[in-house]
Amino acid sequence: MNRLSLALKLARREMRSGLSGFRIFLASLVLGVAAIASVGSLSQAFLTGLAEQGRVLLGGDVSVGLVHRQTTPAEHALLEKYGRVSETISLRGMAYALKNGREEDRQLVELKAVDGLYPLYGSAGLSPNIDLADALKCAANICGATAEQTLLDRLHLSRGGVIRIGKQNFRISAVLANEPDRISGGFSLGPHVMISDAGLNRTGLITLGSLIQYSYRVAMPSSRTPAQFRAEAMEAFPDAGWEIRDRANATPGTSNFISQITMFLTLVGLTALAVGGVGAGQAISAFLDRKRNEIAILKSLGADGQLIFLAFFLQVMAIATLAVVIGLAAGATLPFLFAQFLAGKLPIPADYKIYPLPLALAAVFGLLSAAAFGIPPLARAREIQPASLFRDLVARANARGRWPYLLAAAVAGALIVALAFALAPAPIFALEFLGGIAAGLAILRIVGEALRLLLKALPHPRRSGLRLALANLIRPGAHTVAVVTALGLGLTLLATVALLDRTISAQVQNDLPDTAPSFFFIDIQPGEAQDFDRAVTRFRSAEDYKRTPMIRGRIVALNGVPARSAEIDNDAKWAVSGDRGITYAAVPPPGTDIVQGKWWPANYSGPTLISFDADLAQGMHLKIGDTITLNVLGRELTGRIFNLRNVNFASGRQNFVLILSPGIIDKAPHSFLATVRVDPRDEESVYRSITDRFPNVSAVRVKDAIAQVNSLLQELALGVRAASLLTIFAGLLVLAGAISAGQRARLYDSTVLKVLGMTRSQIACIYAMEYGLLGVVTGALALVTGTLAASIVTKQVFGVPFVFDSEAALLTVLGGGAVTLAMGLIGAWVALAAKPSTQLRNP
Amino acid sequence: MQTRPPAIQLEDVHLNLASAAGAVNILNGVSLSVGVGETIALLGPSGSGKSSLLMVAAGLEAASSGRVIIDGTDITHMGEDALARFRRGRIGIVFQSFHLIPTMTALENVAVPLEMGGADDAFDLARAELGAVGLSARSDHYPGQLSGGEQQRVALARAMATQPKVLFADEPTGNLDGATGAEIADLIFALHARAQTTLFLVTHEETLARRCGRIVRLKDGRIVADERV
Repeated sequence: MNRLSLALKLARREMRSGLSGFRIFLASLVLGVAAIASVGSLSQAFLTGLAEQGRVLLGGDVSVGLVHRQTTPAEHALLEKYGRVSETISLRGMAYALKNGREEDRQLVELKAVDGLYPLYGSAGLSPNIDLADALKCAANICGATAEQTLLDRLHLSRGGVIRIGKQNFRISAVLANEPDRISGGFSLGPHVMISDAGLNRTGLITLGSLIQYSYRVAMPSSRTPAQFRAEAMEAFPDAGWEIRDRANATPGTSNFISQITMFLTLVGLTALAVGGVGAGQAISAFLDRKRNEIAILKSLGADGQLIFLAFFLQVMAIATLAVVIGLAAGATLPFLFAQFLAGKLPIPADYKIYPLPLALAAVFGLLSAAAFGIPPLARAREIQPASLFRDLVARANARGRWPYLLAAAVAGALIVALAFALAPAPIFALEFLGGIAAGLAILRIVGEALRLLLKALPHPRRSGLRLALANLIRPGAHTVAVVTALGLGLTLLATVALLDRTISAQVQNDLPDTAPSFFFIDIQPGEAQDFDRAVTRFRSAEDYKRTPMIRGRIVALNGVPARSAEIDNDAKWAVSGDRGITYAAVPPPGTDIVQGKWWPANYSGPTLISFDADLAQGMHLKIGDTITLNVLGRELTGRIFNLRNVNFASGRQNFVLILSPGIIDKAPHSFLATVRVDPRDEESVYRSITDRFPNVSAVRVKDAIAQVNSLLQELALGVRAASLLTIFAGLLVLAGAISAGQRARLYDSTVLKVLGMTRSQIACIYAMEYGLLGVVTGALALVTGTLAASIVTKQVFGVPFVFDSEAALLTVLGGGAVTLAMGLIGAWVALAAKPSTQLRNP
Repeated sequence: MQTRPPAIQLEDVHLNLASAAGAVNILNGVSLSVGVGETIALLGPSGSGKSSLLMVAAGLEAASSGRVIIDGTDITHMGEDALARFRRGRIGIVFQSFHLIPTMTALENVAVPLEMGGADDAFDLARAELGAVGLSARSDHYPGQLSGGEQQRVALARAMATQPKVLFADEPTGNLDGATGAEIADLIFALHARAQTTLFLVTHEETLARRCGRIVRLKDGRIVADERV
């Protein structure tokens, strides 16, 4: 009979006794596998949804975007050559609620004017369900509009109410429940309002130089492809300055975001697997410890080490397979529950179904981690000697296991890292994350071991209770190190997330109150600029008023090399990926921090000179004297870098990466951007007075914009915190495993202590001290490692100073202590409830 | 005529073990030769090294120095796995605490060494061996469902199932009451008579030792007497 079939027989007989020794192992693996499988499946559902809905989300097979200007007849002809063309115009504006002929509430809105062909794909969701063209059509004095419910709520209007935008009144004929191409638009500062192009013309908001985005969507017949269009467009109009997107990559930002979040959550899932793995290894050790005798018997009957290893390895892998199956079932089901729960609440389309690839990946991760954490204790069990049946006089052999087994475990671990590395969209981040986890585990383990040695070296306390509590933490077989390591890692992640959350919130809020303006005003026309200045500065509390010319343009070439083929570092690519705000100035604006070169003379009027952001110059490998070519309103303008400045985006002030010398740029049609800081008590009157008087000017309250950013950050932080809870849960499983493994010893101890006259409350007190100490030490340790991790992430990733938050710190330490204490006492309660007589009769 | 080698031959065997309190010298130069089919009892006070000598002779523990030859094979320098394979079919062991595998039935417990030896009819042989110790009716019971005496019978059946050259028994009646212990002792000697296996019995009971053909007395890890009964 060969070894494998014999091992199979032995394993089968062993497993008849059930899963009792493997519950923690099973639970740890199920948790990790389910997490990775569900994250993978959910992400795939979103990515598939985005891909399948590409042309609906984009609004066409191809979308061409232009800022400030419409297409020329020649450009338009090219678009029409490829299919039906629909034009939409997007801009920001103020909407005023009209009630009884008076203007009351007002609100900044994102305005979108559509033509009769819109939408080329999909349909706008209106409530009530009326035809879009009917909803937007214009009568003699009034036009129709649809708006999001948020606008109606903020303006205290209901459907049928009237708003004014610019010079035109609109009746809200329907609520805009679904705008099919919304996700391909940018960041929204206000509720969305949809009107017809005819309606927009009546508003008077279309002026040269206003910040207006024109989008042209093309619905192509099957004989045409976006690639053909892109090639012809680039060749025919290389300088058009337009942004071309196609259905295959309709929402690159959203897809990237989903991929990044998936990677992060997969890494958190792997962390849960790693934490669970510590528990799984511990559970297998405990199981094999109970099987010592049996292994020794088998060896005395002639079983060699390989047979023992194989028999128990098969059991471990059978349980791991069961765990993987349960984990995959849960992981595949969760996205469907998620879909039920969040139906219609997410702006991202998803195609929920069973995706084999993420499930297979989760299964591989699960089995590899079972091997990585299961093999070392199995290798030790292989070395159990039959002589142990006879005596415990001699110290038990503490063999580490033979190297080929340990190598196999290390290979399984390395495969997990390699797989995570290979699949991550940002491999370096994945490697750093996993490196951080490994370092965290190593630090926690070393400190756990040091704690055990320290407690051992301490003089024995006089109080018997404390002495016993400490003895429980250091006695042979105590799970101090495992609990500190596994629970510590979960708490470290929580502490890191909590501290990061506070640091970023503090960064946004702290930086703003002193220096940030209260308002941004956009689209101030040259003809009204001086009136506008007077209107704002008449308020006594107005401070730091600044009006700056602004025009949009994009960087198209660096030193004559097209931007798309120039060598640009990753962290600077954003500056060439779309339109940037450009200004001009004869003298340096207040607060300008020139780090290289000098400002041009105040009366300079020669060829265009550029004052450029120093960090971007570094990222684009540019120096003083190099040239940057801009596309402004369809025309190219090349300037030479004259000086480099520090630009602090966190200041909340006006920040332009490009400031040009006057002479040419100031002749282009443009509008102005103004900022002002006023006393918070004056904010409402400034808002009303300016928007009353300058209906074409859009007023953005900085605190509203910050609130919007903050709420996004909060939602993100909530998601990350929920993910870190998964790791804590895995840590708790390890704690539960440690408690259950020590339960027999605890039962024996409490019986003896009761026989010696100790009351149950006294014994409970000992356990409370033991677990309280373990929890607080673990929490404190997690705080140190979490602070370290959070400070590294804030400095390296966000580039902002780290802020320590004592509330979050206290929560971690006390939370860790409380949870450990509670779980320890639950375990102790079982031991305390047992009657000594029963225990003494059946030891 | 060729002389058969002794079943067990120990030459100047020493056993030193490390313990938390320092090195312990357990066996101090034991030399012993046991002939094929002989019955030998090892007597001595607690701590004299009886069980350790059994472990060394059965290949469960490697001697620190000296030579151990079983059935003509020098096992002194065998590795642990080689020793395990050597034991298969050659050595049967009965323990004071029975040491049955709790997750296996009586029948399966007896079949394990046969399966390890590669016997195709392991279960048939095991069933016959259980019959020989009078436990046919309990073959599907688990150790936890058997009395102490019954468990020791299963252990005896397991030890004898492969028809070993040597049967080692370490205080086989030590955990049993007088009557049951006597039954087990009878059974051991009956099985020995049937198979002509060499019997190496560790005991502290003079009367049980007296049933063997030879008694070796041990004290402080040394043989102090070797008498024929």
